[in-house]
Amino acid sequence: MKYTSPQDRIQQLLIRWVLVLVPTLLIGFITLRFLNFSYTSLNTSIGLQTLYFGLGLVVAYSLYFYGARWLITIIILWLVYWLFEKIINRLPGEFDVFYTTAKFQLYSTLFIFGWAFGFLLARVRWAYAILFGLLSVVTLVSISDTIDVSLSYILSRIAPVVVYGLYMLFLTPILVNRIELNPKKSAWLVVRVALFALLILLAFAITESLMKGNLKAVEKELAARGAKGDKDGGSKKGDDYDDRNGLMDKTDDGYRLKDTMWVNSKMSQSDKLMFCSKLDNYFPDGSPAPLYFVYHYLTRYDPVKETFTRDINVPSFDEIDVDPTKIPMYYSYTDTSIIRKSKGLKFRRIVEAQVYLSENTWKHSVLGPASVFSIQTIPVEKDFQKTFISGYKITSFASELNNAYFVYNISANPKLEPLQEQRHDELRDVNGYQKTDPRFVEYYTKIPTGGIYDSISKLASSLVSKDAKPVDKVIAVRDFFLQRNENGKRVFRYTLKAGAVDDPNIPSSRMLYDFLFKTHAGYCTYYAGASLFMLRSLGVPTRFTTGFATINRSDKNKGWYWFYASQAHAWTQVYFPGYGWLDFDMTIGNEDQQSAPKPDGTPPLPPPEPWLVLNAKAETVNVTAKKLDANFNQLIHFNTPYVLNQTFSKPIDASLCRVLINKRDTTFAAIQPGDSIIIVSYKDEAKKIPAPRAGVAIEEQIRSFPTPIIADEIHIHKKEVEKKKENAGKKPTAMQEKKMTWQEIAWLAAKAFGILFILILLLPILYLIYRLARIAFSSTTASKADQVYRAALYRFHMAGFERETETPLEYAQQKIDPTTQAGFEEFMRMYLRLKYSNGTLRDGDESTIRTFQSSVGNTIRKSVGTFRATINYFNIFRALRYFQQPEINSENSSL
Amino acid sequence: MSNSASKLKSLTANIETIIRGKPQEIKYVVTALLSRGHILLEDNPGAGKTVLAKTLAQSISEGAIDFHSANGGVAFKRIQFTPDLLPMDLIGSYIFDEAKKDFVFKKGPLFTHVLLADEINRASPKVQSALLECMAENQISSGDHTFQLDQFFFTIATQNPIEMEGTYPLPTAQLDRFSMKISFGYVSEEVEFDIYSNYLAINNGKNTVKQVLTYQDIIQLQKEAEEVYIHPELVKGIVKIVQGTRQHAEIALGCSTRGGITFIKSLKAWALVNQRDYVIEDDLRALAQPVLHHRLIFRNREASQTALAQIVDKVVNGLAKLGISGKK
Repeated sequence: MKYTSPQDRIQQLLIRWVLVLVPTLLIGFITLRFLNFSYTSLNTSIGLQTLYFGLGLVVAYSLYFYGARWLITIIILWLVYWLFEKIINRLPGEFDVFYTTAKFQLYSTLFIFGWAFGFLLARVRWAYAILFGLLSVVTLVSISDTIDVSLSYILSRIAPVVVYGLYMLFLTPILVNRIELNPKKSAWLVVRVALFALLILLAFAITESLMKGNLKAVEKELAARGAKGDKDGGSKKGDDYDDRNGLMDKTDDGYRLKDTMWVNSKMSQSDKLMFCSKLDNYFPDGSPAPLYFVYHYLTRYDPVKETFTRDINVPSFDEIDVDPTKIPMYYSYTDTSIIRKSKGLKFRRIVEAQVYLSENTWKHSVLGPASVFSIQTIPVEKDFQKTFISGYKITSFASELNNAYFVYNISANPKLEPLQEQRHDELRDVNGYQKTDPRFVEYYTKIPTGGIYDSISKLASSLVSKDAKPVDKVIAVRDFFLQRNENGKRVFRYTLKAGAVDDPNIPSSRMLYDFLFKTHAGYCTYYAGASLFMLRSLGVPTRFTTGFATINRSDKNKGWYWFYASQAHAWTQVYFPGYGWLDFDMTIGNEDQQSAPKPDGTPPLPPPEPWLVLNAKAETVNVTAKKLDANFNQLIHFNTPYVLNQTFSKPIDASLCRVLINKRDTTFAAIQPGDSIIIVSYKDEAKKIPAPRAGVAIEEQIRSFPTPIIADEIHIHKKEVEKKKENAGKKPTAMQEKKMTWQEIAWLAAKAFGILFILILLLPILYLIYRLARIAFSSTTASKADQVYRAALYRFHMAGFERETETPLEYAQQKIDPTTQAGFEEFMRMYLRLKYSNGTLRDGDESTIRTFQSSVGNTIRKSVGTFRATINYFNIFRALRYFQQPEINSENSSL
Repeated sequence: MSNSASKLKSLTANIETIIRGKPQEIKYVVTALLSRGHILLEDNPGAGKTVLAKTLAQSISEGAIDFHSANGGVAFKRIQFTPDLLPMDLIGSYIFDEAKKDFVFKKGPLFTHVLLADEINRASPKVQSALLECMAENQISSGDHTFQLDQFFFTIATQNPIEMEGTYPLPTAQLDRFSMKISFGYVSEEVEFDIYSNYLAINNGKNTVKQVLTYQDIIQLQKEAEEVYIHPELVKGIVKIVQGTRQHAEIALGCSTRGGITFIKSLKAWALVNQRDYVIEDDLRALAQPVLHHRLIFRNREASQTALAQIVDKVVNGLAKLGISGKK
C-alpha cells in the first residue's frame, strides 16, 4: 500500500482503528468479562483490564502500522526500563508493594497481550486466525471450568468469538487495499457488514434450534432415568451420570453426594457452603461432641460396575426413607423401627439436631448423624433466608462411640489417642459374630473372590491373627495405613490426584489394588474402599458410608457446625453386636495440605416452639384487615398431631403474622381464597391457646380455642393445579442447568461449530441454486440472458477460472473458451449486444441462450472433471473471492 | 452497415499487407481517422511509424494529388520536422509574382487531407504550435488571410520518445489536441522473421499499395461513426472515469471535458472499426489508454503505469455487474 501523504496515512490508520481495533477491543472486553465471571482471582475492574489491554493493542498497532521494527520495540523497552530505574532510584520503596500485587501482574500481562495482538494485527495478514484460535481455547477452557452450564450459555460465550473470527475473515481482504472514505463506499461497507451480521445470526439461530432438539432428547432421557430412580426410593437417580468431579453431584436442585462410590481422579474442592447444623450432643463437661453426618450407606458390591451401590433391601436397613421437601411445615415424620434396626443399645442416646440447608445441598434426602429416626420441618429465620433455603429438625438414635474424636484418624495426636484407646477398650468386649444373624453377617461380609480380591484378602489376613477381636482387626487395618517406612516417612499418602491410571469413571477394584500395592496414594474413597474390602475379607461386617466429616472449628457457638462441599467424605462403618454400627475413618490426614480454614458463620436463631399448627384451607380473606377464615381438619396441638373427623372453621387474626410462600417471605395479599395454608401460633401465654387436657377429645378442646386465633406464621401452598403448572414451566430450565463436563461441552461446542461450518460450507451451493432459480423464473429473454450470464460467471469462477481484471468478454475469450470450448464468447457477444445496442432481439438469440445455458454444466464437468466440479463448490474462499472487488495492482492490470 | 464493414475490412486488410503484426495499432489509426481526430505515434525510430502513415494515406489516395483538383482522391503530404524548420515552411508564404506584380500566397504542405508530421518533437515549439492550430481549428492564418482547410484533415504525427536527445517535448496542453497517442512497440519474433524474409517486397511496397477507399467513402464512414449508439450506462461510466482521473490521489491533472468528448467520439469510431454499431464495455478498456493517458499528468512514474488502469478497471467491473436495462 502506498500513501500519497502523511494525512492519508493517518486517515488509513484511523479507519483501521475503527474497523479492526474496535472489534478486537470489544472481543477482548467480552472475553475478559467472561473470564472474570469464571475465575475469582481476576476479579478486579473489568474496565481497567480492558483499558490496559486496549492500550497495548492500540499503541502496538499504530507503531507497527507506521513500520516500526523490532529495534524500536527494544528501544522502547529499554526506555521504559531506564525510566523505571530512575524513578525507583528517586523514590525508593514507593513502588515495592505495587510491583508484587496481583493487580500489577494482571495489568502488565494484559498490556503485553494487547501489545502482541496489536503487533500481529498490524503485521501478519491472517493474524486474526491466531487470535481466533487462542480466544476459542480460552473460552472453551473457561466454560469447562464453569459449573452452571447450559446450551444457551455456551452459545452466548462462543458466539462473540465466532462472530469476531468471521468478521475478520470477511474484513481481511478489504484491509489489503487502501480504504477510501466516501459516503457511498461507507454505506456499501455498512450494508455488507449488516448483511454479514444477519447471516451469522441466522446461522446461530438455526444452530440453536437444531441443537435444542438434541438437548431435549438428553433431557427426556434424564427425566426417564430420574423417574425410574424415584421408584427405587429416589436414590438411584443419577446412577449412570457422573460428573467425574468427586463425591459431589450437581443435580437439578443442588449438590448431593454420589450414591455410588466413584473412585475418582479428581475431587471437588469447592468452597460452597452446603449446610449448617446445631447438634445437641455434648460431653458431660459441656464441650461439644461432633458426630459425622451420614447421607447414604453403600452396601452391595456390584460386580458389573465394580463399584458399591446403595441397596435398600438389606437386612436391618437403618436409613430413614423420606423426602423432607414432602413434609408440610412443622409436621414430622418418624420411623421408630429404625431404632430397632440400628441394632445397638449400648452407649446409645437420643440426639437432636437442627439442619439448615443452603441451596447447594440436595434437599430430598435426610442428612444427620446415624441413625436418624424422626424429622420435622422448620422454617428459616428471615435474616438467614439468603444463605439457607430450608431446614429441618432431626432426632437420631446415636452412639456415643461415634463421637468424631473417636473417629478422626489423626495418628499420634496426643489428645485423641487416649480417647480412641478408650473406645477400643470398650469394643474389645466383642469377641465375634457367633450370636449375630448369619444372614446379616453374610451380607455385610460378602466380597468377590479370585485374582486381585484374593491378594487383598491375603494382605488383610497378614496384618492380623485369625482369632483377633473385631476391633483389633479394625485397628490393624488402620495402622496399616498409618505405617511408616524405615526413613520414618509415611507409606500412604493423601492426594486428590489419585487414580488417573485407568478410566477414572470405573472405580475398579483394580484401582484399589493399585492403591494398596503400588501407588499408596488416594483420598477418602480409596481408604474407605480398601478398608471395606480388607475388613470384609477378615469377616467383619462393614459398610461404606458417604456423608460429611464434622469439624469443630471453634467453641464460639457451641454445638454449631458448618459443612462445606470439601467436607464431603467417605468412611466405613463396622458392626459390633450390642453397640450397632460404629464409624471408622481410615483416611489419613493430608500432611501437605495447607488450606485456609473456613470460617464459621453466624448461627440462625432457633425456631420458636409452636403450640398450635393448623393445616387449613383459606375460606375468605380480608386483605385490609389482615383477617381470614380457615377450614381445617388436621392440626398439631402441643406437638401432637391430630386428624379430625369433621372440618372446623375458625377466624384467624393475621395482623402480626409472617406470611411465607415456598419458604420465602411474602405479603399477606398473596393468600388467595382456596389456598392450602398452614397456620402457626407460637408458644405464648398471651395467645391463650389452651394446654391439652388429658382424656378430653380433641374436638372438644378445639371449641375452647380463642376466637380469633392469633397467627404468627402462615405458610401458603398454592393450589395444586398452579403448582403443577409452575413445575412444568420450571423443569426444562432446571434440566438445562445441569453441570456439564468439559468433554460434553467440547462435544456440544464441536457440534455447534460443525453445524455452523456445514452451513457456511453450503453457502456457495445455495448461491448456485439461487442463481439457477433466477434463470428458471426469468420472464423475458433479456432478463433470462442476464441471469444466464451471471450464473455462467459464477459457475466458471467456481470451476477454477477466476476472472481478475479482464472484462467478461476478454475472460470468455482468454480463459474460458480456450480450455472449455464452452462457446462463452459467442454468448458474451450476443449478450453485450443485447445489453448495449438499444436494439431488439434477433432470431438466433434465444436459441443461443438456451444452448449455452444447457451446455455450461457439461463443459465444466468435461474440462475439470465431475468430481472436481462438485468439490469446488465447497471452496468457501473461492466463493468469497467471487464477491470481492478484484484486487487491482500493477502486475495484473493491463490495458 | 455491411457496406461500411466491408470497406473498413478491406482498408485494414490493405494496411496489414504492409504493416505486419500490428492489427491493434492499425485499428487505432483508423479509429482516429473516423472520429475526425488526429493521432500521435510514439516510438523509437524504425518501428514502422512512417510506413504505417504512408500506407494509410496511400490506401485512401492515389498518391500525391493536387489538393484542390482532387476528384475522389485524397491528398497526402509528408513533412519531416527538424529543429530549423520554420512555420512558413508548413503554412506557405507570400511570394512576389513577377507576372501579376503582386504577392501571391504559395500554399505550404499543410494544405492537404492526410498529413504525416514526422518526428514532430524535433521541431521548435513555434512550428509545433502552427501545426496544432490547424489541427484544432481546421484553418490556417497567414497575414490577413485565413484559409479554410478541407473538412477532411487528418494528421498522423510521430515522435521519438522524449528522453532522446534533440527533442522539444510537447506540453500536455498541446498533446490534448491529439485524440489518441499510441506507442508502436516492436513486433514479435515470428513476425519479425516474416518481415525480414519478405523485406524486398516491402521495400517496393509503395508500388503495391492499392487505393481501396475514396474521399467520399471516408466522409461517409465518419458520418456513420457519429451515428454509432452509445448506451447511457456507458456514458455514465465515462463520466466516472473522467471524474475518477480528477479525484485520484496520484494524478495531478485530470482529464478535461474535451478529453471526455473525444473519448466518446473515439469509442464510437472504434465500435465501427470493430464492425459494431454500438459501443460495449470492452471498448472503454481498449481506448482508455490511447485516448486518455496522454492528457493526464501523474505524480510519479509508477502511478502513470497503474492509476488509469485502476480507475478504468473499477468502472468496467461495475458495468460488467450491471444487468440488461441497468439493473444490478
